[in-house]
Amino acid sequence: MSEHNYNFFVIAAVIAAKLDKATKIARRLSLTASNARAIALRAGEGAAGFRPLTDYIDRLANVTVSSSLAINSLAANLSKTAANKFRADGAIYRFKDVYKKAQQYPNISSLNKSYARTQEIQISLLDSYKRQLRQLTMELDTLEDELRTAVILATLSRVEASQAGALYEEALNNVADNVESAASLIKSHIRDSKQLVSSLRQE
Amino acid sequence: MQTSKIFESSTHQWYVIGRDPDKPDSIIDTNQYIVVTKNNSLLMDPGGIELFSAMLATVIKLIPIEKLTHIFASHQDPDIISSLGLWDQALPDATLHSPWIWEGFIRHFGMENITYDPIPDQGSELRLDHVNLQFFPAHYLHSSGNFNVYDAEAKILMSGDIGAALETNDAPMFVDNFDEHIPKMKMFHQRWMPSNEAKNDWVNRARALDIEMMCPQHGRIFKGDNVKRFLDWFEALPVGILQNS
Repeated sequence: MSEHNYNFFVIAAVIAAKLDKATKIARRLSLTASNARAIALRAGEGAAGFRPLTDYIDRLANVTVSSSLAINSLAANLSKTAANKFRADGAIYRFKDVYKKAQQYPNISSLNKSYARTQEIQISLLDSYKRQLRQLTMELDTLEDELRTAVILATLSRVEASQAGALYEEALNNVADNVESAASLIKSHIRDSKQLVSSLRQE
Repeated sequence: MQTSKIFESSTHQWYVIGRDPDKPDSIIDTNQYIVVTKNNSLLMDPGGIELFSAMLATVIKLIPIEKLTHIFASHQDPDIISSLGLWDQALPDATLHSPWIWEGFIRHFGMENITYDPIPDQGSELRLDHVNLQFFPAHYLHSSGNFNVYDAEAKILMSGDIGAALETNDAPMFVDNFDEHIPKMKMFHQRWMPSNEAKNDWVNRARALDIEMMCPQHGRIFKGDNVKRFLDWFEALPVGILQNS
């Protein structure tokens, strides 16, 4: 995080917004799981194999919602830390300007204490920023791993849908499509977020 | 920045700081005032972010930074106090005196260290060593919560936006010809000041003060007879008028 490139707190806020979208999609996935359970119950014995899958879809939705919320909050905190660092950088930048402008004045050394304190704050904010960035990366990786199971769930759902009989096959295939498309959308937000995180790392 | 001592006694000094040559043309020029006593100082309307480093350098020219113990913001505008987040880093132990109604708003400029001392509507007093300063109500002139600073010993009224004029960066610090100065003030007062009632109330109260110098936040300082001329002119001026905008 350099002193002169201040896009980072905007980028962190964009990541938070992307994860907010992912949370909303994950909540829809949760509805899909409830819907799937109801269809499977109506389909009776023909959809007996589908019922355990709905538990997995539900679990995936819950994990995704809680993980997206956690990442969203991490990204929002990262943005806040970056904005505070921006303020501290601004003060340091101006103090340096004052040292140049007022170097011949006898009182100039009275600024040293404020300068040192602000530098300490700046260093501490940079440490927090790096720590939060590492945590954000880890959480994004974990969520991405979790979402790999969505493809398997969608495939298994289609197999089970084909056993449920003509009346319920289409509805259960829809469930599989919903799981697949929700996972794909969330993954794309995660991919974008990871790219943004990597650009933050290069700052 | 230009710094002039405008008052000196055995207990304190008043300085005006302004006419920043490095200020971008697109931002309004501002006058800052500082009262320096034995161990304390009050910086009035310290200005915006753009001005901060020039202001801090000028303050350090006058006093060690730890002696700047008090800041006054007459109201909430950015040209008055948007530098607060930076002063907050420089002066963590200072106190900011400002209208109570603006506390929640002014804190948006960033204030984690400085203490906010809310000034009640009727005004209050601040004692700096042996000097008494009065926060003199000037509500709706122009802000709905607004104060001047009056020093009875120095006979100085820091009048904020009252008496302000829009003019060039190289204008003199004092009004020399009052009549010629009127066109520079008229639109500012008519457009920015919303209430004739508040204006006349302020004029009546200001007439009861003994004022040798009236020091606005923009433009030039009124001295001696020009103070009375200003009060008469301002009393007769209808304000809250949308013209020349």
